[in-house]
Amino acid sequence: MTILDTMETLCCLEGVSGSEDEVRAYILERAMPFADELLTDPMGNLMIFKKGVTAPRQRVMLCAHMDEVGLMVTAVTEEGYLRFDACGGIDRRVLIGKRVFVGPMRTKGVVGSKAIHLTTPEQRKTLPRLADMYIDIGAADKASAEALVSVGDTVAFDDAVIRFGDGFIKAKAIDDRAGCAVMLELIESQLPCDCWFAFTVQEEVGCRGAAVAARRIQPETALILEATTAADIPGVEGPARVCALGQGVVIPFMDRGTIYDKTLCAALSRLAEENNTPWQTKTRIAGGTDASAVQRSGTGVQVAALSVPVRNIHSPACVAKIQECENQYRLARLFLQEMGREPA
Amino acid sequence: MELTELTKTLCGLPGPSGYETAVFQWAADYLRPLADEVETDALGNLRAIRRCGQPGSRLVVLDAHMDEIGFVVTGVKDGFLTFDMLGGVDPRMLPTREVRVLSDPPLFGVIDTMPPHLIEPEEEGKSIPADRLYIDVGLTQEAAEKAVPVGTAVVYASGCDELCAGQLCGKALDDRACAAIIIKVFETLEAKSLNVDLCCLLSTQEEVGRRGAAVGAYALQPDVALVVDVTHAKTPDGKEALTEGQKGAAIGVGPNLNRAVTRDLFRIAEERGIAHQTEPLPGDSGTNAAAIQIARQGVATGLVSLPLKYMHTPVETVWTADMEAIEALLTAYVEEMEL
Repeated sequence: MTILDTMETLCCLEGVSGSEDEVRAYILERAMPFADELLTDPMGNLMIFKKGVTAPRQRVMLCAHMDEVGLMVTAVTEEGYLRFDACGGIDRRVLIGKRVFVGPMRTKGVVGSKAIHLTTPEQRKTLPRLADMYIDIGAADKASAEALVSVGDTVAFDDAVIRFGDGFIKAKAIDDRAGCAVMLELIESQLPCDCWFAFTVQEEVGCRGAAVAARRIQPETALILEATTAADIPGVEGPARVCALGQGVVIPFMDRGTIYDKTLCAALSRLAEENNTPWQTKTRIAGGTDASAVQRSGTGVQVAALSVPVRNIHSPACVAKIQECENQYRLARLFLQEMGREPA
Repeated sequence: MELTELTKTLCGLPGPSGYETAVFQWAADYLRPLADEVETDALGNLRAIRRCGQPGSRLVVLDAHMDEIGFVVTGVKDGFLTFDMLGGVDPRMLPTREVRVLSDPPLFGVIDTMPPHLIEPEEEGKSIPADRLYIDVGLTQEAAEKAVPVGTAVVYASGCDELCAGQLCGKALDDRACAAIIIKVFETLEAKSLNVDLCCLLSTQEEVGRRGAAVGAYALQPDVALVVDVTHAKTPDGKEALTEGQKGAAIGVGPNLNRAVTRDLFRIAEERGIAHQTEPLPGDSGTNAAAIQIARQGVATGLVSLPLKYMHTPVETVWTADMEAIEALLTAYVEEMEL
């Protein structure tokens, strides 16, 4: 499979934070024949070790999170509608009128909102509060709703993947199935050096899986493969755009969770330039990655990140540039080659 | 074609106000073998007529509008499309909305929005006015200008599908669900002998002010017109809606509607055990009935409405049982009409 096919397949799987089972099962099945060591833990992280051509001096870990933002059912009303809260950081402006899948039975639903004809101009200036929104699964009453879904069920966005424009892709969960796809493709290939791969859980609710996985693997160097916020849309100028699609893979120097290791960042940008692979950095300190947990695990870890810029991140319609997903793979591979140049 | 399939097919076609050609063509092909005449006019209405062959017979018109709400491209900025609305679009539906740009060839697009990490606290929860939203078609300025001429129409990308057993959910059910019903009625009656001439009027531009129906009714001069449109069904946040799903055909009552026609609709529904409810309409019904009633010297007009949740969103929802009730009521009404 190509990196893009793998990413598309992964994006269609459901893995809202805390319910990453489907994603893990898929990765496990594909990675199993290629893994030299394979671990899971009580959180649900999946950790895979694979030998490469050389054994690097340092213990190297690549890391990507399996979970995606979504919703969770908090109540079923007497009329059979579902109340919900957000699982991860979601702007409530992207929710109304969207299609969703609820719970393990993938019950179809929509986030309802009364017709514009029934709203006042004042009401149209704001969005309903999350607590006032609801999901309609077409149930006639509470009992028939409860036959299909339960309080505590996670809710995932519509999963159609579409390629469009000049090499763009739209899907839910590109954050961070992009990184998962890169790691899976690396595992299936011959590696330049020995490497641990951590497919983590619960990044979107506070990098909770990565903290545990890093303590288990105890890497000395870690590279986080992520998707990051791009605001390169009209009306947003200069540094507020953060990063832009088509300008290259993002090598962040800092975000809200981490000040990245300067030596590693320099090595990554040098590798990109030596290999004619476009790269950029973030021009606004925003967001965070599993690096925040990995960096501060044990006695400390050198961390860096390679991120795919994504518009509409944390929404049902994330937009990324295909070439940047491919270049994320390319740079991750170059990074492992570099690590392998300093054998133990 | 079965009613549900017919509805899904019609909803899947793009046809915002003023750009109904795809719907027209599909429906014309479907109706041609069933009709004596299939006509159009300057506004693009579709009129399929079946003559009963009796001299001096009256004409009954069944009307449903073909158009759906949508957007029209007004320009290109940094490769992104600027747009305005065709009909009553709620801008709160738009951030991260997937759309279909009806260029040649059609393009997929996403209405982009600011990422959540960058929203200022005072912006949180506020709706974004449509003039600050842009359609992302993944093209450069030059390529977008070439691919998408200003004036290109845009619709929601979704089609229509079952939400669960017995409910359909998608874009354009307003009013293709009713278009499907009147096409179906026309098809069913083909096998029966009638005492009246029957016209299936699929009208254009309802969402921008019932423009097609006004012209269509003028040309047809109907003796009786039955308008079939959607109406609001109750939702958790919209209890003020006057109808409820699964309670059957909503028969409109009010000055916009002819009392004799309305009375007959109620009588037939009761005699035949067809599920129905009353929709009180003290003024303008907000449907094509308002235009048709005052066409020419005035038309005896009735209104039968289909309860629908989340009107003018991409997730409009209807109950197939209500659609079937309306189908039965209209069929019986036309069958019972005397010379």
